[in-house]
Amino acid sequence: MTKLAFERPIIQRINAGLPSKYGLPRHIEPLSHIEGVSIRELLSRYGSPLFILSESTIRRTYRDAHRAFSTRYPNVQFAWSYKTNYLNAVCRTFHQEGSWAEVVSGFEYDKAIANGVPPEYILFNGPDKTRDDLQKAIKNQSFIHIDHFDELYEIIALTKELNQKARVAIRVNMDTGIYPQWDRFGFNYENGEAWDALNRIMASTQLELVGLHTHIGTYMMSTEAYKTAAAKLAALAVGLERKHKHHIRYIDIGGGFASRNTLRGAYYPGTDTAPSFDDFAEAITSALMSSELKPETLPMLILETGRALIDDAGYLTGTVLANKRLADGRRATIIDAGVNLLFTSFWYDHDIRPVEATSEQTEDTTIYGPLCMNIDVIRGSILFPLLKKGDHFVIKRVGAYNNTQWLQFITLRPKVVMIDTQGQVHVVRKEEKLETINAQEVVPVHLDKIEW
Amino acid sequence: MNKAAFFGQAVLRSYAQVMFSDNLWFGGILLGITFIDWYVGLAGLVAVLVALISSDLLGLADAKIQEGHYGFNALLVGIGLGIYFEPGLLLLMIIVVSGVLTAFVSVSFEGIIGKYGLPYLSLPFIITFWMLMLASRGFVALGLNPRGIYVLNELYVLGGHTLVKWYQAWNELPLLSSVRTYFLSLSAIFFQHHILAGMLVSIGLLIFSRIAFVLSWLGFYVAYLFYLLLGIPFTETTFSYVGFNYILTSVALGGFLIIPNRQSFMAVIMVVPIVVILTVALQEILAYLQLPVHAFPFNVATLTFLYVLKFRVDNRAKLFTWFWQQNAPEKNLYNFLSYNERFGNESPVPIRLPFFGEWTVTQGHNGAYTHKDEWRHAWDFEITDEQGKTYTREGDVHEDYYCFGKSAVAPADGIVEEVIDDVEDNPIGERNLEQNWGNTIIIKHADYLYSKLSHLKKGSVKVKVGDKVTTGDVLAQCGNSGNSPYPHLHFQLQATPYIGSRTINYNLANVLVRSEKEAQLLANANPPEGAHVSSLPVQPELKEAFGFTVGRLMEWSVNGGTDTVQWEVKRDYFMNRYIECLTTGARAYFRADDAMLHFLYFTGNRNSLLYRFYLSAFQVSYGFSNSLVLKDSFPLNMAFGSRALVWQDFLAPFVRFMRADYELHYPAQSRKLMDHEFSLNGTVTRWVFNRQQRACKFRFMVDAGGFVSFRFESGNQLIEALCKRN
Repeated sequence: MTKLAFERPIIQRINAGLPSKYGLPRHIEPLSHIEGVSIRELLSRYGSPLFILSESTIRRTYRDAHRAFSTRYPNVQFAWSYKTNYLNAVCRTFHQEGSWAEVVSGFEYDKAIANGVPPEYILFNGPDKTRDDLQKAIKNQSFIHIDHFDELYEIIALTKELNQKARVAIRVNMDTGIYPQWDRFGFNYENGEAWDALNRIMASTQLELVGLHTHIGTYMMSTEAYKTAAAKLAALAVGLERKHKHHIRYIDIGGGFASRNTLRGAYYPGTDTAPSFDDFAEAITSALMSSELKPETLPMLILETGRALIDDAGYLTGTVLANKRLADGRRATIIDAGVNLLFTSFWYDHDIRPVEATSEQTEDTTIYGPLCMNIDVIRGSILFPLLKKGDHFVIKRVGAYNNTQWLQFITLRPKVVMIDTQGQVHVVRKEEKLETINAQEVVPVHLDKIEW
Repeated sequence: MNKAAFFGQAVLRSYAQVMFSDNLWFGGILLGITFIDWYVGLAGLVAVLVALISSDLLGLADAKIQEGHYGFNALLVGIGLGIYFEPGLLLLMIIVVSGVLTAFVSVSFEGIIGKYGLPYLSLPFIITFWMLMLASRGFVALGLNPRGIYVLNELYVLGGHTLVKWYQAWNELPLLSSVRTYFLSLSAIFFQHHILAGMLVSIGLLIFSRIAFVLSWLGFYVAYLFYLLLGIPFTETTFSYVGFNYILTSVALGGFLIIPNRQSFMAVIMVVPIVVILTVALQEILAYLQLPVHAFPFNVATLTFLYVLKFRVDNRAKLFTWFWQQNAPEKNLYNFLSYNERFGNESPVPIRLPFFGEWTVTQGHNGAYTHKDEWRHAWDFEITDEQGKTYTREGDVHEDYYCFGKSAVAPADGIVEEVIDDVEDNPIGERNLEQNWGNTIIIKHADYLYSKLSHLKKGSVKVKVGDKVTTGDVLAQCGNSGNSPYPHLHFQLQATPYIGSRTINYNLANVLVRSEKEAQLLANANPPEGAHVSSLPVQPELKEAFGFTVGRLMEWSVNGGTDTVQWEVKRDYFMNRYIECLTTGARAYFRADDAMLHFLYFTGNRNSLLYRFYLSAFQVSYGFSNSLVLKDSFPLNMAFGSRALVWQDFLAPFVRFMRADYELHYPAQSRKLMDHEFSLNGTVTRWVFNRQQRACKFRFMVDAGGFVSFRFESGNQLIEALCKRN
C-alpha cells in the first residue's frame, strides 16, 4: 500500500455534496499523462516549467477541421496562421498535412520560406508590409492581401518598377452583426470602399486579382457572423463576374474560430459553448453554396484558422513553488509558470489541473505565477486541490498564441517539447540561457569596467 | 482533299473492301489482278466509278463513299459482266446502268438490314447480278464472251507465245491439290481462275492482315475436309467456284465482324460446315434458275450468324461483335482489347459521386446488409475519420455522425423526377421499414437512366419535381430516414423512375479511390466496400491546356522555331472528335468529359508532333491529388509499327507478348491554385516478352494560359515544342 499523500489541513464548512447555487462541488480531475507519456517524467527530464505539444492532437484536429469543410464544399484549402504558433515543428506539421502559410510580417514570411513553403503558397496579410517585403512577395508570386490604399498604390508602383505582375487579393471588412465591428483591416464593404479598391485593381494591368479576404474577428462564438461574411464576399465575387468578367480564384474567410478555452467572465465553460468546426463549416459553406456563384467556377475556400487548430495540442506544465495565505484569508498557490509564459491567461480562465492524484478537498485559491509583479495571476479564484510545494500542475489548451506572445521578462523561457505520433518526445525549442539573451546585447566600451 | 484524290482513294478502297480491307495497297493489288484480263478489269473499274460518281452526285455521305462502301458491289457486278459478255458499246451501257443500280441496291440494303446492325456484305452484288443474268437472256444484241472459255487464244492474241507459256507455267506449279484449290478459290472472288491471281490475293491478304490470312486457310481447309468427309464429289475447278464462300465466311466471322480470339476461331470451325451444306443446297435450287450461287451462301451464313448473336442475353460465348470497324482484324482486336481495358464497363453518361470531399463506401454492390437481389447494384456512403469511425462523441445523436447534414449533390445533369421530403429521421439505431427508402430524390439523366439518392434528411430537399439540375448542384442533405439505423447516403442507378425500382449495374466516372498506400484515379469505377472515394476538383490550367473544344486551333513551334505545326480540333460525321495536324493531315482521336481526356487512336504520319502528343496525352485528368500517377496501356498497333507487330499479329488472337504502357506523373503537391508554370511528366514504355524496349519520356509545361511547352524524348531523339499563344 502506497503512503497517502500529505495535504495541508484546512477548515471548511461541510456541505455534504449538496448542490448549492454554484452547482455540485466540482472535483478537478488530475492529468498525469499526455498521449501516454508521463508528465512527471517529462518534467524531470526536461526541467520545469515545460511546454508540451501533441503532434497527434494537431493532426487529428486538422483532419477534423478539413473533413468538416471538404465534405461540404468541393475546393477547400487551409493556410496555417503563423502568428498563432510559429514554432517550426508546429508549422511543418501543418504543412505536412497540406496547409499553406498565412503570414503577417516580413519575419513570418521569411520563416515560412525557411520552412520550405513554396512562396506561391504564402498568403501575406497584415497592415505592416515594408517595401522590401512587398518586393519580395511580388517577385516570389506570393498572394498579397492588400490592407489599404497606400499599400495598393505602393504595390502598383513596385510592379511597374519590377516589371512583374503581382497576385493580389483585397482584405474586406464588413458589418457581420457582431460588436465591436472589426473595421481596421482592409476596405469596408458597406461604404463602397471595397468596390473602389476592386475597380482600381481591375483597372491595373499589373495586378492580378486572385481572391477576396476577410478577417471578421477573433475568438468568434457566433457562426452567423461567418455566414454573413461569406455571403458578402460571394456577392462581391459575383459582382466582379458581372462587372469585370473576372473570376476570382479564392475566397479567404480568415480565421478567428473560437477554441474550447473559457473566456474570463464567461458563464459557461468554452468546452460547452464553442461552436464546432462543423458548425462553422456549415455556416460558411451553406452561404457560399446558396450564393449566385456558379458551380463550375466555385472559388477555392481558404481558411486561416489558427487558434482552434492548435489550442488543444498545447500543454504548459510546471511545479508548485509555495503556498501562502493572503490578507483576506484566501489561499494563494505560487507556481513556476506565470503570464510571461501564459500570455493568454489575461483573457482565459485556463483549465489547470494537478498532475498527481489529490483528495476530493478543494479550497478557494488564487494561483500566482513566479514573477515579481502583481499582475502575474494565472487564476484569480479557483476551487483548487491542496497542492503543496514540489507538486506539479498542468494547464490545458495553451497551444495558441503563447509560444508567440510569451515574454522574456524577469526570467528565461523554458523548453518546448513535442510528443510525436509514435509517442517519442522531441525538444522543438531549447530553453533560453543567459548567453542567449546576452548574445544580442552590445556593451559600450566605457561601460566595460565596473569598479566596486 | 481534291476530287481526284477523293475518288482515287474511293476506287482503291472499293477493291480492298471486297476483302474487308481499306488498305490502299491491297486495293491496288486487287485492281491489278482484275486487269489480268484487260477488258474485265476495265469493266470493273467503270462500274466502280459509275457507282461512286452517282453516289456522290446524289449527295450520299462522303465518308462512306471514300471508304468504298458503295463501290465494291458494283466492282463485282462490273467484273462479272465483263467476264460473261462480249466487250463493246452495248456492254458499256449495261455496265453503266448496273453500276447505278448496284449503288441503289447497296444503299437500300444499308437501310433495310442496317437497322438490325448488320452489314450488307455482297448481297447487293448478288441480287443485281442475278437480275442482270435473268434479264440478259432477253438481250439479243448482247453477245456472250468467248474469252472466258478460250483464255489461251485471247492470251496468244495479247502477248504471243511467251505469255501463254508463262501463264501455263503458273497454273502448272507443282502444288498440293488442296493448295491449288485454295489459290483458285481466292482468284474466283474476282471471277478469275488462275493460280497467280489467287497467290496475289493471298499475298495482299497477308500484307493487309496476318489474322485474315490465317483465317482464310482455316476456313478453306475446314470446308475442304468436310467435303472429303461427306464424300461430295468435286474437282479443283468446281470447288473453286464456291470455295471463296468458306474463305470469306472465315475471315468475316473469325476476325473481321467478330473480334478475333480463340472463341471466334472455334466459331469459324463450327460455321464453315454449315456454309458447305448451304452451298450444296443453294446450288441445287439455283440450278433450276440457271443462276450461279456466287457468294450467296457466305452472305446467308454470315448474316444469320450475326443475327443470332444479337439475341444473346449474356456473352458467355465470348464472341464480341465489332463495335468500331477499323477494317483490319488486328486493328479491331488491339483496339477492342484496349478499349475494353480502359472503358470496358463504362457508362455512356458519366455519373459522379453525389457529394463533396472524401466519403467511405460502407456497403457496396451485393452488400451484406440490404444491397441484395434486385437492389444489389447500390452504394452506401458515410464519412469516416482516421480511426475509421463514422461518428464523434458517443454517436447517439444524428449530429455526432460526420455525414449527417452534409450536402448530397447532383451526380450528373438531369431533371428531378421524384421527391420525398417528409419522412422523419429515425433516432440512431432505429429503422423505419414502413417508408423503406425514406426521403428520396430521383433524377432522370437519360432514357432508362435514373439515379436515386435515399435516406435524406427530412426537410432538406432543395429541389422539386421537374427542376433541371446540373452536376454538382446541392440537392439535399444526408440524413437518417427510412430503413437507415445510422445516417448514410444511399445511391443507386436504375432504369425506371420509381422509388423501389430494381437497380442496374452502372459504373461511376472519375473516382479517386484512396487506400492506405496510394490513390488511384479510375475513369470508371465500382468502388467496393471500404473504399475511400472522392472526386478531384478540376484544375483550370489543365482544363485550359487539355480541354479540346471543337474549333480550337493550336500552333507549335518545334525545335527552336525551325518548324511550325498547326493543329485544329475537329469532329467527324460520326461525331468522333479528333485533333488534326493541318500540316501532315494526321489525326488523333480522343474522347473527353469535363474531368478527363482519353486519346483513342491515331492515323497518319507517325513522325509528326501530333503522334508524340497522342502518346503523351493518352490519358489526362484535369484534376489531381498529390503525386497522382495515371497508368494506362496503348492499343499495340498504336505504339508499335506494323512491321514490329508482324509476329505478334499472327498470335494476337491467342496470346499477346508485346505491351506498351503509359504513365503520367502529376506534381508532388496538389497545389489547387497554380497560376504559375508546372509540369506533368511521363513515360511510354514498350515491352516485348517482358523485356523493356526503348522508353520515351515526355513533359508538358502548363500554366494559367494552357500549354507552355511539350517535350518528347525517345532515345537520342529530342523534340521540344513551344506552344504559340496569341
